[in-house]
Amino acid sequence: MNVSSAATSTLSKEEVRTRVDVTLGMIFFIGSWTMAFGTLFLSFLVLRQRVGVWPPEGIVLPSFPLATVATLILVASSLGLHRAVRAWDAKGGGGEREQASSAQRDWAVGVGLGFAFAVLQALLWADLLAAGRFPSSGLYESLFYGLTWVHAAHVVIGLLALLWAWIGLSSGRYGPNRLSTVSNIVIFWHFVDVVWIVLYLGFFVF
Amino acid sequence: MNRINSLLAGVLSSRWMKALAVVGMAGVAEAQGGNRWAPFPPASDFGHRFSELFWLITILCSISMVIVVLLLLIPLLRDRARPGHKANYDHGSSLHDKRLTAVISLATFIVLDAWVLAIAMKDLREAYWNMPEVDQAETYPIEVLGQQWAWHFRGPGLDGEFGTPDDILEMNQLTIPKGRPVSFQMTSKDVIHSLFLPEMRTKKDVNPGSINKTWFKPIEAGEFTILCAELCGYAHYQMFGNLTVMEQEDFDEWEESASLLGIAAYDPEDEEAQWAWEWEE
Amino acid sequence: MSGQHIHAEPTNFFRKHVFSVDHKVIAKQFLWFGLIWLGIGGVMAMMIRWQLANPGEPVPVIGSMLFPRTNGVLDPATYNTLFTMHGTIMIFLGLTPLMIGAIGNWSIPLMIGARDMIFPLLNCLSFWAMFLGGAVGFISLFVPLGATEAGWTGYPTLSTTINGVGSGETLWAIAVFLIGASSIMGGINYMTTVIRLRAPGMTWQRLPLTVWGIFLTSVLNVLFVPVIGSAMLLLIMDRVFGTTFFIPASIMQGAGGGDPILYQHLFWIFGHPEVYILILPAWGIIGDLLSFFSRKPAFGYRAQVGAMVAVTLLSAVVYGHHMFTTGLSAMLGESFMLLTMIISVPAEILFFNWLHTLWKGNLRLTTPMLFSMGVIFVFGLGGLTGIYLATIGTDIFLHDTYFVVGHFHLTMAASALFATFAGIYFWFPKMFAREMNEFLGKTHFWFTVIPLVTVFCLMFVMGYAGMPRRYYDHTSAEYLRSLQHLNKYATHAAFLLGAAQLVFVYNFIRSRWWGKPASQNPWEVGTLDWTMETPVPHYNFKEIPEVFTGPHEFSNPDIPDGKDWISMTEKLKA
Repeated sequence: MNVSSAATSTLSKEEVRTRVDVTLGMIFFIGSWTMAFGTLFLSFLVLRQRVGVWPPEGIVLPSFPLATVATLILVASSLGLHRAVRAWDAKGGGGEREQASSAQRDWAVGVGLGFAFAVLQALLWADLLAAGRFPSSGLYESLFYGLTWVHAAHVVIGLLALLWAWIGLSSGRYGPNRLSTVSNIVIFWHFVDVVWIVLYLGFFVF
Repeated sequence: MNRINSLLAGVLSSRWMKALAVVGMAGVAEAQGGNRWAPFPPASDFGHRFSELFWLITILCSISMVIVVLLLLIPLLRDRARPGHKANYDHGSSLHDKRLTAVISLATFIVLDAWVLAIAMKDLREAYWNMPEVDQAETYPIEVLGQQWAWHFRGPGLDGEFGTPDDILEMNQLTIPKGRPVSFQMTSKDVIHSLFLPEMRTKKDVNPGSINKTWFKPIEAGEFTILCAELCGYAHYQMFGNLTVMEQEDFDEWEESASLLGIAAYDPEDEEAQWAWEWEE
Repeated sequence: MSGQHIHAEPTNFFRKHVFSVDHKVIAKQFLWFGLIWLGIGGVMAMMIRWQLANPGEPVPVIGSMLFPRTNGVLDPATYNTLFTMHGTIMIFLGLTPLMIGAIGNWSIPLMIGARDMIFPLLNCLSFWAMFLGGAVGFISLFVPLGATEAGWTGYPTLSTTINGVGSGETLWAIAVFLIGASSIMGGINYMTTVIRLRAPGMTWQRLPLTVWGIFLTSVLNVLFVPVIGSAMLLLIMDRVFGTTFFIPASIMQGAGGGDPILYQHLFWIFGHPEVYILILPAWGIIGDLLSFFSRKPAFGYRAQVGAMVAVTLLSAVVYGHHMFTTGLSAMLGESFMLLTMIISVPAEILFFNWLHTLWKGNLRLTTPMLFSMGVIFVFGLGGLTGIYLATIGTDIFLHDTYFVVGHFHLTMAASALFATFAGIYFWFPKMFAREMNEFLGKTHFWFTVIPLVTVFCLMFVMGYAGMPRRYYDHTSAEYLRSLQHLNKYATHAAFLLGAAQLVFVYNFIRSRWWGKPASQNPWEVGTLDWTMETPVPHYNFKEIPEVFTGPHEFSNPDIPDGKDWISMTEKLKA
């Protein structure tokens, strides 16, 4: 998607080339990480199968409304960032002032919602800990804490990368060509988003 | 293919071959002063199938290896670089070469793998997978508990039920009857162990948290070995025991006395000894 | 290739030699790193062999220095640590950096005509992640309450807190995790580089087989190393945070409910492709070298590539043959048996083509050639014995005996090691601009191959005779005492094998600094890595070369001026 839109814009041959290189690397990275999270999710399914009754009876579950709100927020965050990158992409980084400012607004909202998700995730844990459920309390807790920990580590990395990209953007460091860095960070963020949705479905819906 | 199979099976199971094997093993053992180069002869019916399959694979692999070595040696001796000698320019990409590659690879697969596979499947379906139903007259059930670093065995005793006072409890020693299928259900207290009975040519992991099953049919009476084949910690190498296979009459006698002894020694307070589970059908 | 710029060589010592982003420097870093670890793992193997032949006797020379508490005697715990770390070190810190790190880094950009890897910084990070992993692994040997003792497979519940309460096992898992991260970084880099930076004219069908092998290995690295990464994370959580992914309820007095068998599945989903991660580059390297030194085109180039691709695909679906005694269902067992047997078809295609490459060639029996032919021999032995282990009926008896030890040492250890040696002897003149001594090289080969085959073939006999692996002392059980003599023979051969490696060390060090200066193309081969001057300039190619011929056009009658080889940048007559 990025590749083709970049090719039709005013980027030079070399810029297009770099963009394809980096995006290809990112695709391989995402493929690799899909296997990593796939492994965790496979473990989730296998262990869940073993328990029989799911969720196990008589335990305190993490808050469903909180998790749902967190999910919506994360999806919104992804959407905002996606819109921002698309707007910049279509303009090759320059473009009309009005569109540029709306893209900047989208970007700010996206990053802000990302932080909001991190806060909600922390609340989910705090809630559960307050109810006396620890990682060592049982299989459900093992899975919930274990999988969300790994996911949260990626949220933190994603947020740091987004902030770093923001600094680069506001200092005007990114020409049209370096925008591929930004778009790759956003691809990573979408991946974090998708992983969360799968976790949400596994823990709260099915 | 069937004819070759039966021919080979005939050769392998012929008296001549058996005599050769016995003489070979004994001879080597004698010559080395008790040192051996081969396992003790199989003592279960499945063990004989194993042995025949093993030697079939060995023959096929040896032939293949000889061919590979020849094909390495001939160019090594004949085609060495020397002045005036030129290599044959051949990419091996003609249709003929492609066909040759395909034919030789497939032929090797059929002779080497498919043949072995067919016999292996036959063995598995005729014997190994057919875990016998527990029928007291026929199959003898055993419950096994592995721990660091000992084997616990539990026979059902005279009442044929597990978890009753007349159970026969043995440690690092297992006594079973000859000529009847023996069915095992096994679990572990701590880490993964693996029940390895070399003369019976069988082995099965003993996992904590679940019950694993296996079986075999001993066809020789005598004293045999029990080993642990899965790394289980510090004294893994000392986790061995003794397997006694008795003639049916001897076994009946032994079972009765052992069962009565079990009742006499039964202590309901001793929680360590209460590890039986209901036999899973 | 406008995308590749020529950068000035850094002058700062740290930028030039330590945190360098130049693939050639990183390759040499991986080389030294891998060789040192190979040495450490080798010494461990020698100690293991000593203990097996002379149970309970103090290890000579180094024993009292390493184990002062026991006056040089290995106790069972130390013995368990030794074989665990021997396996981990040889696979993750010995062969992986040498074959994929060093040879991969060296050969990919030079053979495809690129100025560097596509992500040089990631490349640097890949080395330092592995270095950190190695450091953590090394530290894990010295922590209080003991190093890891759970085998290189680290099966729970032996590897969870049930048995190992110390931090050694945790550090081991962290080390494997870091090394895995390094492999993934390398894999992404290699794949993207091969796809994007091939010189003009370097089509996929002209790619040297070495590059093909490393490329396919990278695919496996990228896809399956994350699986072990996740498994290690879960194991670390079980050990440190009290979760119970792999600890069943019966052990935790009802609080848990995990599954130790799940770990085995995760481990072997990674573990079986890992075997091919190590062997695919080896196949690629010898596919090239056999052709180079037979002065003949690689026979059936496309068939060889196709076979390697097929193995890459199949490697993902055969892992269950490691678990035949775990309690797989009949259906799963038979499926894995069949799939495993099918993998022998591509292997047979490769053997046929390698042997056909030699046939009617003009064999130059240099050291790299000897090691390449050695791969055919040891991989033949190892591969064929795989049939016993793929067949459930025979595997039930042979599983976890020395038969398995002999088998995997011949396939993934000896074959990969021989190909690595072949690669080192082959690229050394380009890497260090000096030649290695051929006489010492051949001595090294013959004194390696003969004891090596002796050791591992004896292990087949031991396994067939029923000797279980990972035993501290085979004289304790009556059944095994009559096999002790085999242990003695194997140990003598193993010591000879170990001693032969000193020849290599001497040759390597002497040639590195005092060897005869190498010419530009001492082996007279046509691939791009031999077209530039020696030593290779910082930017590799001043002009990105254009490729006109394949990598294996030896003895082509259309080669101009009577040579038997042609550079890939030259055109054939007419």
